[in-house]
Amino acid sequence: MTVKKITSDSGKDVTIAIEDRFDFSLHQLFRDSYADSTVSGTKFTLDLSKTSYMDSSALGMILLLKDHAEKISGSVTISKPSEPVAKILEIAQFNRLLKIEK
Amino acid sequence: MANTLERRYKLALVVDDSVMQCKVLSVLLKEEGYRVFTANDGARGVEMYIKYQPDLVLMDINMPVMDGYEAARQIKALSKHTLAPLIFITSMDTDQAFIDSIEAGGDGILVRPFSPEVFKAKIKSIQRISDLYIQVKSLQQAQQKDAELAEQLMSGVIESRNFALDRIGIVKKAAELFSGDIQLTAQCPNGDVNVLLGDFTGHGLRSSIGAIPLAETFRVMTKKGFSLIEVISQINSQLYDLLPADLFLAATFISVSSQDSTAYIFNAGLPDTYIYSEEGSVSHKLGSIHPPLGVLEHLLPGSQLAVVYIKETDRILTLSDGIIEARNAAGEMYGIERFEKAAEQGVKNNALTETIVADLEYFCEGTLQEDDISLIDIPCNGWEPSLSVGHSAPTAVNELVEYQGIKQTGASWSWKLVLMGDKLAKVNPIPMAMSYLHEIEGNSEQWQNLYTILTELFINALDHGVLGLSSDLKKEAEGFALYFQEREERLKQLAVGSVEIMLNFVRAEKGNEVVIEVKDSGSGFDFEIVQEKLQENSELSLSGRGIQLVSKLCDGLYYKDKGTHVIAKYAVS
Repeated sequence: MTVKKITSDSGKDVTIAIEDRFDFSLHQLFRDSYADSTVSGTKFTLDLSKTSYMDSSALGMILLLKDHAEKISGSVTISKPSEPVAKILEIAQFNRLLKIEK
Repeated sequence: MANTLERRYKLALVVDDSVMQCKVLSVLLKEEGYRVFTANDGARGVEMYIKYQPDLVLMDINMPVMDGYEAARQIKALSKHTLAPLIFITSMDTDQAFIDSIEAGGDGILVRPFSPEVFKAKIKSIQRISDLYIQVKSLQQAQQKDAELAEQLMSGVIESRNFALDRIGIVKKAAELFSGDIQLTAQCPNGDVNVLLGDFTGHGLRSSIGAIPLAETFRVMTKKGFSLIEVISQINSQLYDLLPADLFLAATFISVSSQDSTAYIFNAGLPDTYIYSEEGSVSHKLGSIHPPLGVLEHLLPGSQLAVVYIKETDRILTLSDGIIEARNAAGEMYGIERFEKAAEQGVKNNALTETIVADLEYFCEGTLQEDDISLIDIPCNGWEPSLSVGHSAPTAVNELVEYQGIKQTGASWSWKLVLMGDKLAKVNPIPMAMSYLHEIEGNSEQWQNLYTILTELFINALDHGVLGLSSDLKKEAEGFALYFQEREERLKQLAVGSVEIMLNFVRAEKGNEVVIEVKDSGSGFDFEIVQEKLQENSELSLSGRGIQLVSKLCDGLYYKDKGTHVIAKYAVS
């Protein structure tokens, strides 16, 4: 279980990648990964390609990230969700809330 | 047994075969505020421990009868649920003595010779750890109490008030004491049943804060006769206002009307809801069409219920994701395929939930579940309005002439609402009318009938009068869904037209009555045929049932102005 963060030189593109399980145990790590990215207009990319499992608290954590991004006039894109994760996102209809790139 | 939490002073037990050593240590401990007991061998030490439950034990290693290691092991075995700090006092300054002390359950070791200051410092540090342990323990107990209270509230207050528990099969297995899943059922005034299966984010106490307002809103709005989509929309806004951003409710709402052979379903974030026919085949699968509730301030534009034609022998099955994700010892998930197979078998066995639960238990073989497991099985028959007795067939048409309008009858109060254009599509006047009635005349069982009368008359005025929908569509059983779809379309485009509803409470010599008048801007219909049929008491097709029902409930039903103006009288008992 890891949260990896890559910030572009401009600070405006932040990629957060979650490996293995994305659940409540990552709460603090996940929040820490975006909380100090406060440059206006930051584009967050949430890479879920290596996420094997996601529970409903992870959905809640994504919504917190979305809130944070909206506060700084930024955006959130979910990138390449793995198959089990895509299924959970589909059931929760998160495609209606934010951009999901297959 | 003395409770260490309640005792004001601290007790220490010194176990040493040297009386001199016991005395020295006792003096030092008394200076630190302890009351001290002493024992001169290990066995006696264990006895004293059981008798006094001390806060601290000092233990020599080499002693007659029972040595310090064995005494320590016995004491530690006796105090599994408390931390009784135990320090070995020895002159054996070897690594092995240190290792053996800790192995035997000791919390520390002090090697002689030591100064009184070092001894006191050691005692203080060990006491600090012990205090922390007691604090954690009491916090844990408080939390457990809270969870029990919440559990009691949930099952005792919220779920015990559910409707028709004898007919609706509900399975609920909580992952922790307190479940994040919630199951609610309630009866609509017209006899339909509303069912909710919800799954709050996470589990445990945190996920439960939304449960009480949710249950309250669901019940009250259902009882007052709000439509299902209105209930959903209100719950969504309420949860949005109430809950933090990362807490929300994935839920499926189901309303079953046996009268209309129709089920209305809204799935927001839960796995597919199934409709099974008698033979066990799936006739419909309804997937999630909306993000969970409480995420967005308002429902997404265009959100509407799925309308499904049902047979009396059908069953509706809804579930939360816990069952699909349940794992066995090998880490394998139960999965959708096993679930569907078990469900099919369950329908055939006429024991739907039991079969699924048994299959799941067989699969998991007692492995602890990570998430709550919920299932609701709803039969599609028998959800009818409860007609009250005392109201016979409608009165003759000729009474229409005698009816002179409300002005002459001396109403003690009246209430009127005119809805025009797009407001007709957005506002449901029935709960308002009922709320006035309850407000002025108090609560009463008989208003249930009035609700049905008002609803049928208003729907007729809106659907057939203003929207010009033909009830021919409803002649086919499958037509209900089509009818509903067409109705939604026309409502969306509604710009002109009006419906007027008037409620009059009349005090008369024969007894009080409520007179309902509904006028619409439509072109009317051939009401005489309907009235003739009602007089003959002949069976009407599917489409005429609303009026047939109203006529049974009323003491008089009259049409005027080509059928655009209907008057219904209801005697108050």
